[in-house]
Amino acid sequence: MTSPISPFLGVLVLLLVAIALGAIILVASGVLLPKIKPNNPQAEKLAPFECGAPLQQPNARHRYSVKFYLTAMLFILFDVEAAFLLPWAVQYKQNLGSFWIMLAFFATLLVGFIYAWGKGAFEWEK
Amino acid sequence: MPMTLTQLVVMALLQIVLLLAFVMMLVPLITFAERKVIAYVQVRLGATRTAGGLWGAQAGRTHKSRTLTGGLNGLMWYLGRVPMLSIFRGLPVFIADAVKLLTKEDIVPEGADKAVFILSPAISVISAFTVFSAVAFAPGALFTFPAWFPIVGGLPFNAFLTDINVGLLFILGISSVGVYGIVLGAWASNSKYPLLGGLRSAAQIISYEVPLTLSLLVPVILTGSLNFNEMARRTATEVHWLAIPLLFVGFFIYTTCAFAETNRVPFDLAEAETELVSGFHTEYTGMKFSFYFLAEYANMILVSALAAGFFLGGHYLLPFGFQTFLMKAGETAWFNQPSILFFLGKVLFLLFVFIWVRATLPRYRYDQLMHVGWKYLIPYTLVLIFVAALIRYIA
Repeated sequence: MTSPISPFLGVLVLLLVAIALGAIILVASGVLLPKIKPNNPQAEKLAPFECGAPLQQPNARHRYSVKFYLTAMLFILFDVEAAFLLPWAVQYKQNLGSFWIMLAFFATLLVGFIYAWGKGAFEWEK
Repeated sequence: MPMTLTQLVVMALLQIVLLLAFVMMLVPLITFAERKVIAYVQVRLGATRTAGGLWGAQAGRTHKSRTLTGGLNGLMWYLGRVPMLSIFRGLPVFIADAVKLLTKEDIVPEGADKAVFILSPAISVISAFTVFSAVAFAPGALFTFPAWFPIVGGLPFNAFLTDINVGLLFILGISSVGVYGIVLGAWASNSKYPLLGGLRSAAQIISYEVPLTLSLLVPVILTGSLNFNEMARRTATEVHWLAIPLLFVGFFIYTTCAFAETNRVPFDLAEAETELVSGFHTEYTGMKFSFYFLAEYANMILVSALAAGFFLGGHYLLPFGFQTFLMKAGETAWFNQPSILFFLGKVLFLLFVFIWVRATLPRYRYDQLMHVGWKYLIPYTLVLIFVAALIRYIA
């Protein structure tokens, strides 16, 4: 019990149980139950959802708005920032002087935030 | 007393059985509560016809089943006659839902990436379940096994699976994995509406994850810990009085982000019926659909548990750190004891708030959603963190 990783044993067991549960239900529903539940595939039924009209584009994986990429990039920026803040927040009580260092970090971040704002990175409708 | 590996694993398995039973039983009950609460908000009755209705379409309606000899049907019907219990007349509808989902035909659409299509709902549900390993429902043991009990006799049965020191980080990390299930499932469907819904959902979830993480930094700064038990105890009982309004504001920002994280109204743009049919799971049927469903509701329970744990006073009676004042009355007073009931009560109340909001608010537009996330919530949370750090600095 003194090992630092032993508390994570429960996490591992739950992960394995969750995977097993998912696999069992998927197998049961996909392999065993089709014997008793309806299984009647038809061309119309298997076609991707469309509002009654014949499908014009069989492949739906088109290019999409660059805004989604931009959002993902901004997310990485700010989530890494949050990841930096977490260890600081934990040890902050023992090291109050780090307040000023964090203030400098915040100021740097704020410059980037204002820049992204000014560039219109947060605007969705044009 | 040191536990052997067998004891650890068996204990973990017993806890997991209870935990998963709790989550998987709560999810259908939430869906039933959702029907009922929304119905009553809209001045209608909601589900009432399935009083024991699995045993016949005429359940609770024919004279035969209204007699006491009508078995479960009759019993449910008589229970439904009691004014306060009449709300439970539609209760078995969740069993009917489960049976329907289990026996519904599985459709894999043409052109779909079959392996990804089948695996991605499992990714969502596995991450939604695994997160609960770091959630503490009470700070201590629920009971101790009697000594005659095989393998784990004499050991305490804790209300938490693990007490890891990086609990919050673990929760944030694993719950983010769920977004892969949504994106991959949407992409694998090879259909327009799921693809658009999945993209929207992913952009929304990652956008709101930033203010969500930042608002959770407030209790981390105030407590100096990432351990769930430690944070819940300290935010409830040991905060400076200046931090109480801070936790109050933080709670509202956190809850707003939590609504967006779980794709709930008013932020359910990912499944905006008027635009996207039903979003990323348009092509899903049967058990694979119910996996997404289960994951969404399990995530609701999770975010409610985090809000209850870190802002609403965790396992103690009063929210927002007000318990600090009560603690002056002494540790032994009944209202200063941590209890699983306080915690579950708060979680259930927050789940009710989820339904309440769904019945009350209209849906946002997508650009409004992104504006709220990036232009309001992130600056607000940055100010909150600054104020929290300042309070720790001066006090």
